[in-house]
Amino acid sequence: MEIDWLTVAAQIINFLVLVWLLQRFLYRPITDAMARREERIATRLAEAKDARAKVEAEAEQLREKQEKLEASREEVLREVREEANDMRKEMENDLREEMEARRKTWEDHLEEARDDFAARLRQRAGHQVIDIVRRVLKDYAGSDLAGQVAGTFVDRLANLDDEARGKLKAAVGRSDGPVRVESSVPLKPAARSQITRAIHEHIVPDIEVEYGENDDLLLGLRLMAGEQTVEWSASRFLGRLETTLDEVIEGSGRRSTERRPDSAESN
Amino acid sequence: MEISPDAWVLYEWRGLRLNATIVFTWAVMALLVIGSWVVTSRLTAEETVSRWQAALEVIVTTIRDQIAEIGADDPGRYLPFIGTLFLFIATANILSMVPGYQPPTGSLSTTAALAICVLIAVPLFSISKRGIGAYLRGYIQPTPLMLPFNIVSEVSRTIALAVRLYGNVMSGTVIVGILISVAPFFFPVVMQVLGLLTGLIQAYIFAILAMVYIGSASRSRSGASDPSPNDTGD
Repeated sequence: MEIDWLTVAAQIINFLVLVWLLQRFLYRPITDAMARREERIATRLAEAKDARAKVEAEAEQLREKQEKLEASREEVLREVREEANDMRKEMENDLREEMEARRKTWEDHLEEARDDFAARLRQRAGHQVIDIVRRVLKDYAGSDLAGQVAGTFVDRLANLDDEARGKLKAAVGRSDGPVRVESSVPLKPAARSQITRAIHEHIVPDIEVEYGENDDLLLGLRLMAGEQTVEWSASRFLGRLETTLDEVIEGSGRRSTERRPDSAESN
Repeated sequence: MEISPDAWVLYEWRGLRLNATIVFTWAVMALLVIGSWVVTSRLTAEETVSRWQAALEVIVTTIRDQIAEIGADDPGRYLPFIGTLFLFIATANILSMVPGYQPPTGSLSTTAALAICVLIAVPLFSISKRGIGAYLRGYIQPTPLMLPFNIVSEVSRTIALAVRLYGNVMSGTVIVGILISVAPFFFPVVMQVLGLLTGLIQAYIFAILAMVYIGSASRSRSGASDPSPNDTGD
């Protein structure tokens, strides 16, 4: 065994070159890559830890928020329940008041209907009375009652006040035609002459008097000179009575009292 | 029968002989460098790596861990030297399976060269770590009378390292040669398998011993030069 020192030297150089080459191509790249990877992994671990901490914090916040929400929900529920109770009571009161008002209205309507019925009953009774009177007067108009009426009419002409008499005269003066006297039944000649005389005496002498009949008068006489009229008739009395009856019924309502009209009222 | 590849001269030019030791050393170097370059040219720092990168990382990490286990406080400093020792010797020995290949570690010249490298590296690492004054003072510790013994210790250590590697690798070759002449059919195969194992073990032992020398030189002398109650040395 011998050592070839040239070879030894060459091997030393070879070894040193190999050390340099492996350092260049093996150790440094590998250790650098591992260091980079470790750093990267450490970074990602740190990031993961941060993210986890953040997520846990958010979860904690969320939990707190949820608890608050739960608490506030109870509160809101309680408030809503109270509000609903109040509203229910209010609505009940309103309903009760409305029912009361409706009941009152209904009672009023009932009262009105009753009053109305009573008023109509009274009105119809009144008219019925008037009709009966009118029929009675008509039935008796043909008797000497007509003569009585003529006498009464003559009295009224005699007792006319100055103003009415003046108006009558003026009307006769303006009119060219005769004075017309209407009666419900034909007048007897004596009655006619009595009336003609009274007209000549109290209004205008020598004026022509025309006689006619009119059923509307029922019982009585009507003097028409131009536009002026002097009338004494049961029809007019009954008309007045009817008007008065209607006024009393409408005015006094249900508290109206029965009143008997005075048929002898003069105009 | 050629025992040493030194004697196998492939080319000769004006007295300079290119023997098989150097040629096979170049082959091993080329294999190592090209393999490393191919793998590391496509390195990634991602979480997923290629199989070859993972294998290289395992090798480098293991070497670094071994260095750290021996007690070096900065494995990265010694990694290129110790790692290259291991990889070169291991590759050179494993390739002995290839027919026609002669492991360069089977040459005393190669092992001597590696031992000389360790011999030089020990003081260099020590000096780079502690400074030349502290290193030289280590030779006269604990007393100047120990100077010759310390020098002999250094030299003999280097020679022992060289002869250990050479003897183990060479003995395999020698035994195979002898057994081929005795029983040429069966034993050489077994010895070849055994040679793979002993080759790897030798690579491991050589690298570890080199590291132990470097480490112990740094530690013991630093303890001796800078005594402290907590550091009593080896």
